[in-house]
Amino acid sequence: MTVTFQLNGEDCRFHGDPMTPLVDILRQERFLTGTKAVCREGFCGACTVHVDDEAVPSCLKPIALVQGCAVTTIEGLSSGNHPLHPLQAAFEAADAVQCGMCFPGMVMSLSAFVRDNPHASRPEIKAAMVGNICRCTGYERIVDTVADCLDQARKAGQLVGGVHV
Amino acid sequence: MASSVERSFTAASTLDEAMAARRQGAAVLAGGTWMMRDPRRGIDLPEAVVALHRIPALSKVEIEPDHVVIGAAVTHAVLGRALYGAAGFEGVVAAAEGAANPGIRRVATVGGNLCALDFAAADLVPALLVCEATVELETVEGPKLLGISDFLKDRHTLLTDGIVTRIHLRRDLVASAHIRLPLRKAGDYPVAIVSLAMDKDKRCRIAVGSVEPVARRWTALEQAMRAGPASALDPERAAELALEHNDFQGRDGKEAEGWYRRQVLPPLVKRGVAALLKTGGLA
Ligand SMILES: Cc1cc2nc3c(=O)[nH]c(=O)nc-3n(C[C@H](O)[C@H](O)[C@H](O)COP(=O)(O)OP(=O)(O)OC[C@H]3O[C@@H](n4cnc5c(N)ncnc54)[C@H](O)[C@@H]3O)c2cc1C
Ligand code: FES
Ligand code: FES
Repeated sequence: MTVTFQLNGEDCRFHGDPMTPLVDILRQERFLTGTKAVCREGFCGACTVHVDDEAVPSCLKPIALVQGCAVTTIEGLSSGNHPLHPLQAAFEAADAVQCGMCFPGMVMSLSAFVRDNPHASRPEIKAAMVGNICRCTGYERIVDTVADCLDQARKAGQLVGGVHV
Repeated sequence: MASSVERSFTAASTLDEAMAARRQGAAVLAGGTWMMRDPRRGIDLPEAVVALHRIPALSKVEIEPDHVVIGAAVTHAVLGRALYGAAGFEGVVAAAEGAANPGIRRVATVGGNLCALDFAAADLVPALLVCEATVELETVEGPKLLGISDFLKDRHTLLTDGIVTRIHLRRDLVASAHIRLPLRKAGDYPVAIVSLAMDKDKRCRIAVGSVEPVARRWTALEQAMRAGPASALDPERAAELALEHNDFQGRDGKEAEGWYRRQVLPPLVKRGVAALLKTGGLA
């Protein structure tokens, strides 16, 4: 079966088993290895990408279901010479990352969340990341950074990621 | 990546098209969050698949003054948002918003939750049991409407060639609640689930999920609670009755042993009745 979709803004075509998990195509065919396949069961969130702007696990997404959709991976969130997504920059500044295994998924989940919830409270931030497991850092520094990032954006009258909701 | 499997995949745009694929032996694919894990359970993915996400009628929630109709392909996230604030559906909303994790809830559908055979911990099932939901199916013999308890009893047979299309709910509840006990706050399947609802006559309906292989109404407890006056609805008393009328056979599983699932029911009933009284403005 042939499946066509947009991948990080470019046309992409896949030919093969329609039930192939999206994560395998990203990593093995497109070499977009930022997206990690850790549990392959929907539990860890390391494989999170945006499909039509929604953060979803790519390990459980059969490629045929992304026909006609726009897929964004961590590589597409801010690429090349472009500035980092504000959340990425904030995580870097706060030194919130350790091994980095969970982080692409964490950023993909949270970037969609802050876009849709500019006034999120701390408990709401925590609830948004329950599907993203980090084995290194503990979560408080990540939550702090998201809260600070939202706070600063509000003070500056901007929305994180520049997306209006 | 190029697999040797020549799998057939139909993205049906009408129910007729989906049923035609079904007659040819295609398995239904909704969000895929259950089915995509089949290989990890030692089960091959189906050779022919029909996806429902392009059938518009199956992806909407219709809220009318006296009833609600939920399309089978509606996701947990959409369901939670659609029914948020609708009196009587607090339990369904809590089930839709509390199951799994946010990424899964954006993908996993109501139909998938009801049709994942051998999945004992489905949150929406007890929540819909206390709503006395009606399940609409399309089958080779034509459409069928079944009470949810009958659907659960016969679903192995019904789903050999049928498609669940819609869930119908009457708006006859004053309040409802959904109490789940996971081992950790997120990620685990709940060890036990107690869903409760109160109808306009202040009678309590109670269903239990995850304790036995299939969720069911707790009729022995419902009857015992009805023996007393509705005004006497009290969390402590309900927990005592739950202890006395505990007729569940707990299933052993990865998260917990059967005795434990059974034993946690009275405190969950206590919490549930307290939540029900609060929501119903009676606490
Ligand atoms: C990490 C994780 C955590 C989870 N935690 C919870 C939890 O806490 N609570 C909970 O309730 N669930 C939980 N689940 C299970 C999840 O809710 C189910 O996997 C989901 O509801 C299935 O929906 P789906 O749309 O993805 O179904 P699919 O995987 O597409 O399908 C599931 C089954 O139902 C059949 N089917 C689907 N739709 C129909 C239909 N309309 N008619 C006939 N047959 C149909 C399919 O053929 C398949 O056999 C969890 C899942 C994961 C991955
Ligand atoms: S690899 Fe997809 S959720 Fe863990
Ligand atoms: S930084 Fe190592 S798993 Fe999160």
